[in-house]
Amino acid sequence: MKGKKFYVKAISALALSGILLAGCGSSDEGSSNDTASGDKVTIDIFQNKVEFKTQFEELVAQYEEENPDVKINVKTVGGGTDYAPVLKSTFSSGEEINIFNVTGPQDVIDYKEYLTDLSGTKAAEAALDGTLATVLDGEQILGLPVNQEGYGLVYNKAIFEKAGIDPSTIQTHEDLENVVKTLDSKKDELGIEAVFALPGKEAWVLGDHLANAFLADEFNHSVVESFNADTVKFEKGDEMQRFLDLMNKYSVQPVLSLDYSQQVEEYFSLERVAMIQQGNWVFPSVEQMDEEVAQNIGILPIPVEGYEGSIPVGVSSYWAVNSSADEAEVQASKDFLDWMYTSDTGKEAVLTSFKFIPAYEGYDTDKISDPLSQDVYRYASEGKTIGWIFAGYPSNPWGTGVAGPNMQQYIDGKMTWDEVEADSIKQWEEKRK
Amino acid sequence: MRNRDVSFWLFLTPVLLGLGLVVIVPLIYGTYYSFTDWNGIKATEFVGFEHYIRLFQDTAFLNAIWFTVKFSFVTVIALNVLGLGLAILVTRKLKTSNLLRTVFFMPNMIGGLILGFIWQFIFINVFSDIGEALGIEALQGWLSTTGTGFWGLVILTCWQMAGYIMIIYIAYLQNIPSELIEAAKIDGANSFQRFKSITFPLVAPAFTVSLFLTLSNSFKIYDQNLSLTNGGPYESTQMVAMEIVKTAFSANEMAYGQAKAVVFFIIVAAIALTQVYYNKKREVDL
Repeated sequence: MKGKKFYVKAISALALSGILLAGCGSSDEGSSNDTASGDKVTIDIFQNKVEFKTQFEELVAQYEEENPDVKINVKTVGGGTDYAPVLKSTFSSGEEINIFNVTGPQDVIDYKEYLTDLSGTKAAEAALDGTLATVLDGEQILGLPVNQEGYGLVYNKAIFEKAGIDPSTIQTHEDLENVVKTLDSKKDELGIEAVFALPGKEAWVLGDHLANAFLADEFNHSVVESFNADTVKFEKGDEMQRFLDLMNKYSVQPVLSLDYSQQVEEYFSLERVAMIQQGNWVFPSVEQMDEEVAQNIGILPIPVEGYEGSIPVGVSSYWAVNSSADEAEVQASKDFLDWMYTSDTGKEAVLTSFKFIPAYEGYDTDKISDPLSQDVYRYASEGKTIGWIFAGYPSNPWGTGVAGPNMQQYIDGKMTWDEVEADSIKQWEEKRK
Repeated sequence: MRNRDVSFWLFLTPVLLGLGLVVIVPLIYGTYYSFTDWNGIKATEFVGFEHYIRLFQDTAFLNAIWFTVKFSFVTVIALNVLGLGLAILVTRKLKTSNLLRTVFFMPNMIGGLILGFIWQFIFINVFSDIGEALGIEALQGWLSTTGTGFWGLVILTCWQMAGYIMIIYIAYLQNIPSELIEAAKIDGANSFQRFKSITFPLVAPAFTVSLFLTLSNSFKIYDQNLSLTNGGPYESTQMVAMEIVKTAFSANEMAYGQAKAVVFFIIVAAIALTQVYYNKKREVDL
C-alpha cells in the first residue's frame, strides 16, 4: 500500500516538473525557429522611436511587397522604457538583430565589434555634412543618421502677435529679456500665467539641452571633441546662468516639480505660457492637444553670444547594421536602409508620414509638414546652427546626473552658480581621468 | 516532517527549479560580475574589490542609503500603526465592515507606477488648488523640495500598503479566542487593558510578518519612487534601488551597479533577518 502511494506521488511530481520544463523548452524552440526558416532573408529591426512605430511598420510592409524575398520583423522599445539596457540584454542573450540604433560615441565604442561599415551605401553618400561625425571611425561609416532634430525656444505666434512683438527682432539676450518683460507686463491682457514654463524636474532639459547650447562653442560644435575632452571650462558659464535665471524668474512656479508633460501639454498647448525651451519633437503632443495652436508655433534661438539667431541642430540616433549576421542578411539590411532614405517611395514616407527633418540630400523640403520642423530645417539650411555635443558628455551621466541636478540645486538656492560650475567641472574631469 | 523521502524532494523540484533559475543563479552570476569590469555585454578583466572600495566613497550611493533608511523607519512605523488601526476598526461589528475591508485593500491592487502618477497629480495640482482656496501655504509646491518629496513618498506608500498589512492583522485578530476576552471582561479589565494584555501579545506573530514585509518592501521601493519624484529635486529623493538602476543603466557601469546591488542585498538581508530573529523570540503561543 505504501509503495503504491509513493509511485502516485512520484509520478505526479514528475508530471509537474515536466510541465514546467516543457514550458521553458517550447518557448526556446519558437524563437530559434523563425530566424532560420526558408530561403527568404529575414531581417530583424530593433528600434527606439516609439512615436513613428506605426508609420515605420507601414513602410516596412510596403518594402516587403516590393521585395517578396525579404521578410522584416520590427521590434520597438522606447518612450517610457529605456532602449539602451534592452538592446544590451538582447545582445548578451545572443538573440540576433540585424538593424538597431546607436545614439552616441559611447555606443559606437561599446558595440564596435558588431558594427558594419556602411560607407559604400547610397544613403551614406547622401548624408548631409557633419551628420556622420559621431559614427565615423577613420574611413569607416558605422551608422546612418535617422533624422535631424533641433531645439530652441518654442513660442506661440498668436500670443506674440497680440503683444505686438516681432519675433524676428530677437537676437541677443537683451532683446529676449525686453520681450520677456513686455510679455510679463501684459500677462493679464494676453491671458497667460507666466512667460515661460521651465521644467525644472527634467534634468535633461537643463543639463543636456540648455547646457549644450552654451558649451558647444568650446568644443567647436563637435561631439567627438566633447567625447574626448579631459575637461569642460564653462567659457560661456555667465551667459548660461543669465539665461537660466531669466527663464526661472518668469516661469510658472514652482519649477522643480514641473515636468515635461506639464510644460508641453498643460501650459504651452493650452496657451497658458508664451514660450518653452523645447524642440521640434513636441509638435505631435501639441497637435494632439490643440491643432490650431500647433499650426501657429515656431522656434526662436537661444541667445548665445557670437551665435545670435542660431539654434542647436543635431542627430540623436543612428541606424547600425549588425556585422555578426551572415552576409545575405547584412546586404539585405543595407539595401533596406538605402531604399528608405534614397528611393522616391522612401523619401516621401520620411517626409510626410514620419514627419522627419531629413539628414540627407535630395529631398523636396517643401513637404516638411509641421511648422517646428520647417523652422529647424530653415535654420539648418542657412547654416545657423549650434552643434549637439551632449552625446559626448562623460557617462556618469554628466548631463542628467551632474550638470542637471546641480542646476536644480542652484534654482533651489542650495548651490551658488560658482559651485555649480566647479562641481560640474570636477566631476567631468574625474570621469575622464 | 522528519522522513524526507524521495517524494518530498520530487514535489519540491518545480519550486526549487523556479527559485534556482530566477533567484539563486542570477545572484551568483551577479556577485561574480561585481568583481569584474562587466559592461553588460562582456567582462574582460577581474578587478577584485575595486568596486566595493569605491562605493563606500560614493556620496550619491551613501545619500541614497541614508534617505532609504529614514524613509523605511517612518514608513514601517506608520504602516503598522495604520494597518493595525484599520484592522481593529473593521473587526468591530460594524455594518459596513466588509465594504470597508474592500475599500482599504483596493489601493494595493493598483500598480505602483500608476499610483505614483495619480499621487503626483494630487500632490502637485490638487494640493496646490486646495492650498490656494484655503490660503494654506504648506500645501503648495509639493514635490519641489526634498522634504515634501520625502513625505509624499511616505504618504503614497502608506496609502498603498496599509490595506495589505490590515489583512494580515485581521487574520490574527479574528483568531483570538473570544473566551479570553470574555474572561478578562469578567475580571474587570477595561478595553485598554484588554488590548495591552491580551490582543497585543496574541497578534505578535502578525507583527513579525508585517514588520518583515513592510521593512523589506520599503527598502526595495522603486516604481513609486520613479513615477512620483523620479529622484527629484536634484536626486535628493532617490532611493537605493533607483540609484542602482541609474548606475547600471544610465551611467552604464553595469559591474559597479552590480556591486552596489550586492551590498544592498546584504544590508536588506541582515536587517530583515535580525528583525525576524528578535520578533520570533517575543511571540507567545497559545
